[in-house]
Amino acid sequence: MKTLYKFVALAGVSALTTSCFNKENPNYQLFPNMYESVAYETYSESKAFPNGKEGQLPAKGSIPRGFEPYEYENTPEGLAAAKANLNSPLTEVTPEDLEEGKKLFGIYCAICHGDSGDGKGNLVKKEKFLGVPSYLDREITPGSVFHVITYGMNSMGSHKNQLTQHERWLVTEYVMKLKSEL
Amino acid sequence: MSSHYEAPIRKPLVLGDKSYHDVTVDVARPVEGRANKQWWIVFSIALVAFLWGVGCVAYTVSTGIGTWGSNKTVGWAWDITNFVWWVGIGHAGTLISAVLLLFRQKWRMAINRSAEAMTIFSVCQAGMFPVFHMGRPWLAFWVLPMPNQFGSLWVNFNSPLLWDVFAISTYLSVSLVFWWTGLLPDFAMLRDRAISPFTKRVYSILSFGWSGRAKDWQRFEEVSLVLAGLATPLVLSVHTIVSFDFATSVIPGWHTTILPPYFVAGAIFSGFAMVNTLLIIMRKVSGLEDYITIQHIELMNIIVMITGSIVGVAYITELVIAWYSGVEYEQYAFLNRATGPYWWSYWLMMTCNVISPQVMWFKKIRTSIMASFIISLVVNVGMWFERFVIIVTSLHRDYLPSSWTMFSPTFVDAGFYIGTIGFFFVLFLLYARSFPVIAQAEVKTILKSSGDNFKRARENGNHSHNH
Repeated sequence: MKTLYKFVALAGVSALTTSCFNKENPNYQLFPNMYESVAYETYSESKAFPNGKEGQLPAKGSIPRGFEPYEYENTPEGLAAAKANLNSPLTEVTPEDLEEGKKLFGIYCAICHGDSGDGKGNLVKKEKFLGVPSYLDREITPGSVFHVITYGMNSMGSHKNQLTQHERWLVTEYVMKLKSEL
Repeated sequence: MSSHYEAPIRKPLVLGDKSYHDVTVDVARPVEGRANKQWWIVFSIALVAFLWGVGCVAYTVSTGIGTWGSNKTVGWAWDITNFVWWVGIGHAGTLISAVLLLFRQKWRMAINRSAEAMTIFSVCQAGMFPVFHMGRPWLAFWVLPMPNQFGSLWVNFNSPLLWDVFAISTYLSVSLVFWWTGLLPDFAMLRDRAISPFTKRVYSILSFGWSGRAKDWQRFEEVSLVLAGLATPLVLSVHTIVSFDFATSVIPGWHTTILPPYFVAGAIFSGFAMVNTLLIIMRKVSGLEDYITIQHIELMNIIVMITGSIVGVAYITELVIAWYSGVEYEQYAFLNRATGPYWWSYWLMMTCNVISPQVMWFKKIRTSIMASFIISLVVNVGMWFERFVIIVTSLHRDYLPSSWTMFSPTFVDAGFYIGTIGFFFVLFLLYARSFPVIAQAEVKTILKSSGDNFKRARENGNHSHNH
């Protein structure tokens, strides 16, 4: 009988000590000494800036090290110029480059353009929206592909936030390969 | 005449023609009586000091250890000095109750109870320093190797600071058990004499239903002997481990193999001095002069003299080895102690620890209560400075001259120390009024061999027999 009481008491104590955790809220913390950052953390909110965001825009016209500004403008003339004059800086396209391009294409492009570039991506198949052309139907050069990835065109948005310049060229090479296979 | 043989050269340990009943009455008197005005005055002073210490600790913990005088070079100063000092004081209690039991020293019986109380109370004081000298004492539980949610992150067993945790906690628990076991028959005596239902109830709980049967006594003796056998290596290892905090480091002045035995000798030295201080007062205020006799004081003085000489030899050994080593850092460490900015602490330590115990060679001094009292206080000052000198003078000037600095304590350093002294006396004063301060059960076992009346009777008996 005494043992039973002990077990009941133990169960009661454990229930008491563990029942205060509300799953809707963060749990209680024991001495959170270095849990909150003193430094500004990326994407955090901060009252130090007028718009309350930690991520502030760089000064216009500044160029970070290791970055080249894209010189063609986001206009039909810019596209035509890029189509005509812009060439890939990749002197040699290795199979690894194409493999990397394939991966990036799978992540950022195939959802609309389709795995083979035929304009039959998942969203098109499910009729979320229509009007994605096949690469076969369009006259494209590496320069125009790069330009379109950078700025977007018609329904397509800019992808320069997602892909670096180098990655855009890798995707461009892969797109040209897909077109040649269609 | 009787079958008992005891050398007539031995002096009586219990004076005043005591019977068993007299022993009981004498031991119970301070517990059963009421506290007088002086007790309340001293207790209030101790309590105020204690509360001041509590305030200083609260200030340290809430504000940070930067409130102390320690700095980046001298990271350990008063905190560890006081820790080692208190641990050292505690060692005499176990030595008296355990080592002297193994050596069958009958004179320990009148002093072991208070010596053990002193051990426990001073280890309590010592135990506070390792916790509150931490930068984040609320995480102190991480020193324990517990299974946890950090992938079962454990402690590193290579640090003497961790060994300190085990040493001190084991030391405190074993001492407490040893002390309490010895208290059972005495609490039972107080229980059986209690008049008020409240004290009856209290001492009934404290005495664990001791009824003093033959089988109980037999096991009691065995347990005492086993615990004494365990406590003896413990007492040697605990202060050894404390000394490892320094000896295992690479600091010139700390890295010495002599530290373990030298610290233990110093601990016994300072501990006996503290027992002497306390008992000289206690025998007077509690009316126990017939039990804690001048012979007890003399014997404690002799131990102080012996261990003081061991400490003196250790000092000389260190100096010789520093010279002999050819290591200029080591040589400088000792040159700095003797002639550096803390020369006064070194020479104070040398005077108090090496010279003062040597006067005990004179019988007139070691049998003088006033001289013993003063010297035992001097020894404790000296031993405090020994730890201070070892810690601070080795740290404030070591390998890189660009790191040389000074140390000066703040009032918080001092307040914490004063607080532990206050707390110690709060505990000891409460103890002296509620616990049987003399192990009456043990004293009764030597009464017939060492009581002055029985000795006299035996001598007279022998006298008539011889003629």
